[in-house]
Amino acid sequence: MQTVKMVISGAVNAGKTEFIKAISEIEVVSTERRATDDTKLIKKETTVAMDFGRIAIADDLVLHLFGTPGQKRFDFMWEILSEGMLGLVILVDSTRPETFRETNRIIDFFVSYRDTPYVVAANKQDKPNAWSPDELRLALRLPPHVKVLPCVAAERESVKQVLLELLYVILQQSEE
Amino acid sequence: MALVGNIRDFSLSDFLYLVDRGYKTGCLHLNRLDESASLYFDKGKLITASRKDHAASVTDLLIQKNKLTSLQASDALVAQRNDGGANLSQVLLQREYISREELQKILQQYIEESVYVLFGWPDGEFRFEQNQRPEVTSPIMPVPLPVEHLIMEGVRRIDEWGRIKDRIPSNDLVVKFVEQPGDKAKGVQLAAEEWRVFARINGKDTLAEISQKTGLSEFDVSRIVYGFLTAGLVDVIKKPKPLPVMATGRPMAEPPRVKRGLVSRIINRIRGM
Repeated sequence: MQTVKMVISGAVNAGKTEFIKAISEIEVVSTERRATDDTKLIKKETTVAMDFGRIAIADDLVLHLFGTPGQKRFDFMWEILSEGMLGLVILVDSTRPETFRETNRIIDFFVSYRDTPYVVAANKQDKPNAWSPDELRLALRLPPHVKVLPCVAAERESVKQVLLELLYVILQQSEE
Repeated sequence: MALVGNIRDFSLSDFLYLVDRGYKTGCLHLNRLDESASLYFDKGKLITASRKDHAASVTDLLIQKNKLTSLQASDALVAQRNDGGANLSQVLLQREYISREELQKILQQYIEESVYVLFGWPDGEFRFEQNQRPEVTSPIMPVPLPVEHLIMEGVRRIDEWGRIKDRIPSNDLVVKFVEQPGDKAKGVQLAAEEWRVFARINGKDTLAEISQKTGLSEFDVSRIVYGFLTAGLVDVIKKPKPLPVMATGRPMAEPPRVKRGLVSRIINRIRGM
């Protein structure tokens, strides 16, 4: 049985848990605890360890989805999670520009040293005052080759589209 | 839909960059305590701006500067009302009450001073209303102002390490020109110290090395490069390093080179879900 891994990252409350829940075939394993720092101002429960989802591709192949913890104090987890990953989805809460700097920090961590295939998902596009993908590209100063995709993490079809777009990027970089 | 936020989190320079690169038309409203300001843009360029308690019509401004008489102002206002398409600045030019160059100079000075003050705000709510246009009597510049010029001047007034450190976290970063700064560079006027730094940018030297070669302090070099960066003239990049070592002591692995067939299988599966 071969397993491959994708990582879903983003700032606190970007929608990582919801994203994985929307597509996973198993009940998502979330090690959530009551928030003890300023994240409790944003949501009551926040991810302090990780989310884990799974999609069976075939009898001999499984895709694992890992959500990274949002808070800075869990940065060390990012290294572990990113090892051997196939690709990366960076989720952004399009309604909260105060998280854009943190998003850039995350992109920088995952991408600066390695040629990691990744896409940026502009989440919460169904909310009023959401910044559009084009506006997010400018705000995050992303190069033209990086895909910035509209996303509503609660909707399975939207999540599917983001994963497919990431897979097309991976496909371009893959070998015969 | 409006773009909303706080300049504490997304700075005015960053927003001007977004407006410029996104060719935005509309009004940026800023509010802080009992102060407020409005900046109007047309296709990414600034056409007018005003601050609360400092707002004036174009005719009031010109009368204050003794460049227009009250009679001319009244006549222009009547003409503008009869010609719904033109703004008051255009009517003044059509009637040759003032030259284009002089009108531009006076309005640019007024508008720039309205904007520069805003760079000193540590925070403030912003709201960008797409396609919102200024009043026809506003001091609308005949030639819209490129924002790079505003960014450079605004950044000269920044003396906070914190804001600079957000974009330039280390002096070990290498400064390089963006692919095509050509048109962007045209709107920028550099001071002598800025030229010294500009001339040292070669895509190889770090900020620390530029500081050493120019004799400028690291803060000054960072502040100047921050200006170039915000105006979209340069990029800062990390020096290539060996792969980082993980907390476990092992080197971080490169992403695996996967087979096309495997990726295609995953694509087909997800498409079918």
